[in-house]
Amino acid sequence: MHVPGWHEATAALQDAGEVQMLGIIQEQHPDRARLFMQWKEMGWPILVDSYNLLEVPYVPITVALDEAGVVTKLLGPLQDEGPLGSDFVAETFPAGEGAGASPPVVPDLESLAQTARAESSPESWRAFGDAVAVWGGPDRATDAIEAFEEVVRATPDDGLAHFRLGVAYRMRYDSEGRRDADFQKAVAHWGTALEIDPNQYIWRRRIQQYGPRLDKPYPFYDWVPTAREEIAARGDVPSPLVVEPRGSEFAEPVEAFATADRPVAEPDPLGRVLRDDGEFIAVETTAVPSAVPPGEVARVHFTFRPIVEQLAHWNNEADDMVVWVDPPEGWDVDSPMTVYSVPPEMVSQETRSVEVEIRAAPSAEGDVTIPAYALYYVCEDINGVCMYRRHDLDVEVSIER
Amino acid sequence: MKPIRSSLVAVTVLVASSGCTSTDGADAGDPSASSRAARPGPVFEVGAAFPTLALPALEDGRPSSVADYRGKKVILHVFASW
Repeated sequence: MHVPGWHEATAALQDAGEVQMLGIIQEQHPDRARLFMQWKEMGWPILVDSYNLLEVPYVPITVALDEAGVVTKLLGPLQDEGPLGSDFVAETFPAGEGAGASPPVVPDLESLAQTARAESSPESWRAFGDAVAVWGGPDRATDAIEAFEEVVRATPDDGLAHFRLGVAYRMRYDSEGRRDADFQKAVAHWGTALEIDPNQYIWRRRIQQYGPRLDKPYPFYDWVPTAREEIAARGDVPSPLVVEPRGSEFAEPVEAFATADRPVAEPDPLGRVLRDDGEFIAVETTAVPSAVPPGEVARVHFTFRPIVEQLAHWNNEADDMVVWVDPPEGWDVDSPMTVYSVPPEMVSQETRSVEVEIRAAPSAEGDVTIPAYALYYVCEDINGVCMYRRHDLDVEVSIER
Repeated sequence: MKPIRSSLVAVTVLVASSGCTSTDGADAGDPSASSRAARPGPVFEVGAAFPTLALPALEDGRPSSVADYRGKKVILHVFASW
């Protein structure tokens, strides 16, 4: 675990009330930062900047502010042992530009929305989008999506708007109000943002969070299980997470793409298993990134949700769920058959996620559809019939030109 | 595990020199130039006031900003837990 050196160096000053610690997090899921802070017993106030409204180019950055809110020191990512101790407290600073400005007020979202619709300019949509992104929260992700869609339609080279649009889509995907392809749209807009500015660290990390292991610099949320264990060992209750990290968010980086060691028999080669065409289980398939160069790797996320309107639910009394991916000639998959271990309960209604990585053929071009299917036991309603079903899936991967 | 990542950053340290605050090449007369590069955004710069943009507090979602801490010396850490 790495806590900046100045944190300890300034502990006494914090305790004496001579320095106020403050954090700003660049995080799609801010509740994870809450768990982290609890784990490290760092009780600072934290502000949430999921949409990167501060236009932070990378993290971590440490900023020393004087009593007037003026920046007196900036420490970048490789300098976190910097001089932020008693010298900073003792020093006096001249008042800088903007000192004494009034604290901001909460904007009138409805007024901003009316203005945006009346003017229909990228500036007014951007103003509404930024405001509703912050003050509307996940409940108004659809408004943020509308606003940022208007911005990127008018100004398609606005990388910030593409990034924020991606954040809003992913936010809605993580909510009960999710719509088809929300996650794929998030990934596509993050990809566009990164094309516009390949050096934007925050944007790159947001894609890498969900992307293939070859492209990962480190596991992103590998600390979560340890944090929970250590918090519980202290006798505290770990702060809950709205969205559990999974798959790519835990995956270790690799230096080379690897396929399964030995051939695996296809579970339903003749396609005889009765189909679920989406009556019982809704499936969303997302490739990250949306487009890859020939010979490169995408990570494919399959998400399976029982359709609650049908009272559909999993039956876990027999076999595990499996996902089979059948790549075209010249393509590779890291695991053609993935086994999802069902929970111990006889029936359940959880969302299931399976992730595989696919390497495009060196000669691949255009938009490619890769056939796949899932096999599972599903029940029609609480007292209904349980059947073994096959759900055919199409994995769409675009090849960069 | 290393939640506060401090490696693999191929950018310069001074935020004020980063592209995100540049206005180079902006063409105010061209609507398509109303882009990220053409819009001066918040700036972190020694000697300038830190942006007082309001953001929701992690604790309770209420609006807050660095301006709420005027009158105190502040060490502000911009980070992520990934």
